[in-house]
Amino acid sequence: MSEVILEKIDDYRWQIPKSYKPGMRVPGIVYADEKLLKDICQDKALEQVANVAFLPGIVRASLAMPDIHWGYGFSIGGVAATDIENGGVISPGGVGFDINCGVRLLRTSLCFDDVKDKIKDIVYALFNDVPSGVGSKGEIRVSAKEERDILVKGSKWAVEQGFGTQDDLECTEENGAIQGADPDAVSERAYERGKAQSGTLGSGNHFLEVQVIDQLYDQKLCEEFSLEMGQVMVMIHSGSRGLGYQICDDYVRTLMPCLQKYHISVPDRQLVCAPVESVEGRDYLGAMRCAANYAWANRQCLMNLTRKAFEKIFSTSWEKLGMYLIYDVAHNIAKIEKHAVDGKEKMLCVHRKGATRAFGPGHPALPERYKKTGQPVIIPGDMGRNSYLLVGTQKAMEETFGSTCHGAGRVKSRTAAMRSINLNTLLKELESKGIMVRAHGRSTIVEEAPQAYKDVNDVVDVVHNAGISRRVCRMRPLGVIKG
Amino acid sequence: MAEKVYELLEHTADVGIRVRANNVNELFRNTASAMFQIIAEPKGPTTQSAEEISIKLNAENIEQLFVNWLNELLSLSATKELIFTSFEVTLLENNRLEAVACGVPMEDFRINAEIKAATFHELKLERTASGWIAEVIFDV
Repeated sequence: MSEVILEKIDDYRWQIPKSYKPGMRVPGIVYADEKLLKDICQDKALEQVANVAFLPGIVRASLAMPDIHWGYGFSIGGVAATDIENGGVISPGGVGFDINCGVRLLRTSLCFDDVKDKIKDIVYALFNDVPSGVGSKGEIRVSAKEERDILVKGSKWAVEQGFGTQDDLECTEENGAIQGADPDAVSERAYERGKAQSGTLGSGNHFLEVQVIDQLYDQKLCEEFSLEMGQVMVMIHSGSRGLGYQICDDYVRTLMPCLQKYHISVPDRQLVCAPVESVEGRDYLGAMRCAANYAWANRQCLMNLTRKAFEKIFSTSWEKLGMYLIYDVAHNIAKIEKHAVDGKEKMLCVHRKGATRAFGPGHPALPERYKKTGQPVIIPGDMGRNSYLLVGTQKAMEETFGSTCHGAGRVKSRTAAMRSINLNTLLKELESKGIMVRAHGRSTIVEEAPQAYKDVNDVVDVVHNAGISRRVCRMRPLGVIKG
Repeated sequence: MAEKVYELLEHTADVGIRVRANNVNELFRNTASAMFQIIAEPKGPTTQSAEEISIKLNAENIEQLFVNWLNELLSLSATKELIFTSFEVTLLENNRLEAVACGVPMEDFRINAEIKAATFHELKLERTASGWIAEVIFDV
């Protein structure tokens, strides 16, 4: 049970005062309502929000989204921005091991009636054609030079191989390739780990889901996105696989001596960091961007395999099936962004650890097609309830450095889930809701059971009501592929 | 595979373990064993010969050495597609480690979990009256 002091700001925001812990440079601000707060207070997540407030150069507040839960170093659901000009740091722990873990959402022109008798075929085809599971290897084999290309070009590399279109790039955060990736800052071991894993889903909470829209919230926005009730959607959740884990591990080691070198004091060594404008900080940023690009290429390849599987089932092209990408967002990343702080424009290093960018309408980083709506924000829920499409808002720009939640957030540990949930009962429950699941590991299904997560509907209520994103529509799962 | 040498600690998102040992060498060995017991279980008696890998590491302190050791094993397991089943620590002094890890091809195992890395969060390495104790949280 957390002993952190929380002061209510309003119905959806709570403050951890700077005075809570000597060394905090800014307060903590948690986006939650009273219902979610009960769960949030059960573990050490709030202590981690306070710990992040120690980071040199941190501005405004150490932020936590309503899906916050206990992580390592940063809480999951944490956002922290540091002022680069004023010694602001970058921390690999503020990104995590799965660099650019993220999610993409495709629409289709299919409706529920078109797929309801084919769900089993679709799920089996996807499970068969999309490599998943721990250490899974794909059919894509790349030379050392090609791997360097992936790290620089990201999704564009995949499109050049015929695994997608220019249109896909426009509908991906950073057009699927963040600039400033430095392949020379990536270790040989990381290259080795990344070699065979392009186009693989991975395991744990990663998934591929066939969903159907079951609620529209904003008719006008839905029209902008060409979405209607009963429309079939596909969601893909994956990251940078072993390459990202290795880069994070390499740089946690590299940056450890920086605490002494730059006289930095943090209460948790997993918050190890270096000034963004230091050799170590720049090297990490260059390597992290490589992993981010690898992840975007990976999700692009996964989407290509998904389109191919649908083509096989429906005996027509993916274009005729209307399988167009709505958007792809990263939710474990650090980005250099311009934001107003106390009325002044500043270049900040924005860490989003289990948080999604949610830029409001008109932001220059958005493609023309989304300038009016604001950035599409994709929020996956658990396999038994819902997922959401939201859009970013101006209020997010003002309060959260253009950030919002990233999912439902765990509430039950994996061990507690294994102890209390019976696999067969769970599968029957999901089946009764019309949800078919296929996974490599039986334990994965139990660990990822709906009971292990907060209700994503509660989480999205908070970000919508707090004004840091707006609901567009909600989906429910039909078919789930897990690692 | 060795007998279970660890207990699980509650953690909302990840997996934590507590490991006990008579001495620090054994602590390094037991924690590595525990980590691979969480990752995989043998499908049956292996028919393939084990591969021995030599590992040499340096760190600023024993805790960093401990985390580096576990992450080095995870990394080698991924690149060489091996599950490590036994460990010999040949040197452990002045924050230097020399060890041999013995691995069996991954295909002989049922994989239960992916451990992305060992973390420093809430890491404990303590000498007690009866030996050594370690607590470590893995990102899964």
